[in-house]
Amino acid sequence: MFSERTLTTLSAAVALSALTCGPIVAVAQEETGTKTAHELRADYDKNLKGKTIAFLPIATGVPLMDEWGTVIKTEAEWSGMKFTIRDPNNNPSAMQQALTALVDEKPDVIVVQNPSVTLLQKELKRAEAQGIHVIQMNMSSNYKSDAFVGADWFEVGRILAEDVVKACGTGSGASGEVQIVQGELTAAASVDQIAGVMDTLNKDKAIKVVSNQAAQWDANNALNITATVIQQHPDLCASIGFWGIMQSGAAQAIRNAGKIDKVKVYASGEGSQLDCDQINQGNFYKFLSYTAGEQGRDAFLAAVALLEGDAKPGSSHREYYTRPMWLDKTNASGANCYAVLKPPTPTADATAKK
Amino acid sequence: MRDEYVARGPDSGAVSGRLWEGNNGMAMQSNPAGGTSWSLRHALGRLSQEEVVAALTVVLLIGFALALPGFATTANFVDLVRSISKLGILGLGMGVIVISRGIDLSEVAIMAGSWCVALAAIPRGLPPFWAAVTALAICVAIGLANGVMVAFVEAPALFVTLATAFVIYGAAYWVAAAFVVYAPQDAPGLVFAGRGALHGIPMPILVFAAAALIMHAFLSRTSIGRFIYAQGDNPDAARLTGIALRPLTVLEYVLVAALAWLAGLVWIGETGNMQMSIVQGTAIFDVILVVVLGGISLVGGRGGVFSVVVGCALIGTLLNALTIMNVNSEVQNIIRGVVLLVAIILDNWLHPRDEETARQGD
Repeated sequence: MFSERTLTTLSAAVALSALTCGPIVAVAQEETGTKTAHELRADYDKNLKGKTIAFLPIATGVPLMDEWGTVIKTEAEWSGMKFTIRDPNNNPSAMQQALTALVDEKPDVIVVQNPSVTLLQKELKRAEAQGIHVIQMNMSSNYKSDAFVGADWFEVGRILAEDVVKACGTGSGASGEVQIVQGELTAAASVDQIAGVMDTLNKDKAIKVVSNQAAQWDANNALNITATVIQQHPDLCASIGFWGIMQSGAAQAIRNAGKIDKVKVYASGEGSQLDCDQINQGNFYKFLSYTAGEQGRDAFLAAVALLEGDAKPGSSHREYYTRPMWLDKTNASGANCYAVLKPPTPTADATAKK
Repeated sequence: MRDEYVARGPDSGAVSGRLWEGNNGMAMQSNPAGGTSWSLRHALGRLSQEEVVAALTVVLLIGFALALPGFATTANFVDLVRSISKLGILGLGMGVIVISRGIDLSEVAIMAGSWCVALAAIPRGLPPFWAAVTALAICVAIGLANGVMVAFVEAPALFVTLATAFVIYGAAYWVAAAFVVYAPQDAPGLVFAGRGALHGIPMPILVFAAAALIMHAFLSRTSIGRFIYAQGDNPDAARLTGIALRPLTVLEYVLVAALAWLAGLVWIGETGNMQMSIVQGTAIFDVILVVVLGGISLVGGRGGVFSVVVGCALIGTLLNALTIMNVNSEVQNIIRGVVLLVAIILDNWLHPRDEETARQGD
């Protein structure tokens, strides 16, 4: 239809218009951007900017809680929120008082870690009745609040035990003798983890749990218990510990006995550089990390979802479970191990009472 | 005067036992129907608390050896003694201060704080030897501060050292900023005291034994050691006889801190780390437990190094057997508490308070 010349002219015109008009359009976009982008961010800011997120861990100065705090603070401040933190320093009554004071200050979101399933239960209910969203981290209370973020302890125990059964159970040729070092018998993390471990270990007749004791999250207690256990059971096949820092004491006792290459030391934990050092020094055979940094980010995302959503505090439940990750000598480095930081401090103006 | 205090030395329990015998003579005259319970108390009263605890330990050892498979082996016995070495070294320090009628609740904090700071400096380039020296310097400085507050400011030791423990805990966190600090893997000299062995005997046992011998010689064979008993027995009388009590008190607190350093040296080698959280646990009460259990009375001037050794032996035997029996550590805590209560009640029954030993609050 068109002659070759017309085509050439047309394409030249198109090229010319592209050359001349293109920059004009581009300039216009640089100046105002797309409408959608503006609207999205405006909606985000409307829901988040100026809001306060409060963090109440069991204690600060612990790699797990400091990583949570640092991630929540960084994300919150970037999004224009205020961050505040209370440190009850392992003291249950101080923690109750801190929570009562926090509820009276009426932040928009409280992120809390429960030392037991009952301690903060009533106060968390009161917080939601006052219009504060409550997110429970890793260790839940009996009260189901707006969101739970953390590890599924039963699953953590099961995954640990499945690997132990593979290494020590029927057909492995090993003794099948297993030691378990629990944290504190009353903590949810210990109760559910031991349930998962025992549920799996009991399925294999070849597995024999020779010691199942609590070391109160303390490396020195774990060392003393394990020194006796390894001495009484020289054929021990595996030692399972419910927290990396505590289990490093058990690993040291096994190393002191000259058996670190024979006994497989397992632990679960937050996956800080301290845990990775233990793996790389050959103290831990395998480590199940529940990636504290990811949990901190999940907590912030849960806060965003709650603030952007229409649900009133106390009217819905969300669960953000953490995917556990195996660490061993092949991958215990780089981004899989987070550096241990100083505890976070509150945003400057978040300390002022509302 | 010197001879008098020799008699009041490490075997002072025996002395008070004999004094008690005299009192009993009068008691019998006034109540001749006392019968068998009196003679049992009379017979036991002859024994010092150290001897009662030592006898109890031997009974337990024999009982467990017969009833518990795997208990009566050389390896288990070595493990038992090794497990109480750190507690024993801390107990030696606490023993000295309690004999002088003082107390140091900051001992565990001194150990943990000084070594946390020193270990944290190693990755930043401080050689292990100088890290150990730094830890010692921190310990001595804290001991001096405690001593000066108690001796010269005349603040009660209980509150001074309780407060110091909090200050150390906070300051160590501020400087080291780590929940747990691991010992370096490439410093064999630094961890030898906790991890090494000589002729098959683990170093912690040897360090404890050496520290116990030196402290025993110090307390029973030197004038300063005798002065410490004199101070605990009756501070006013000691002052009147010309003993410089204030510098002596400072020395005692420095001594506790130095022993805390030694316990820390063993601790980091054995466990491979130092954890500030032990300051918040019951560790300091375990130390007081072995000291009081063995017969170093909180009223001062009584007991000695042997008290600490038998106190540790009893607790170590119990904990070792309970671990072999797979008894949970929460139950072990209950048993530990009950043992302390029994020791205190037994002490009261055998050696009732009198005008000499009574204190406000008794």
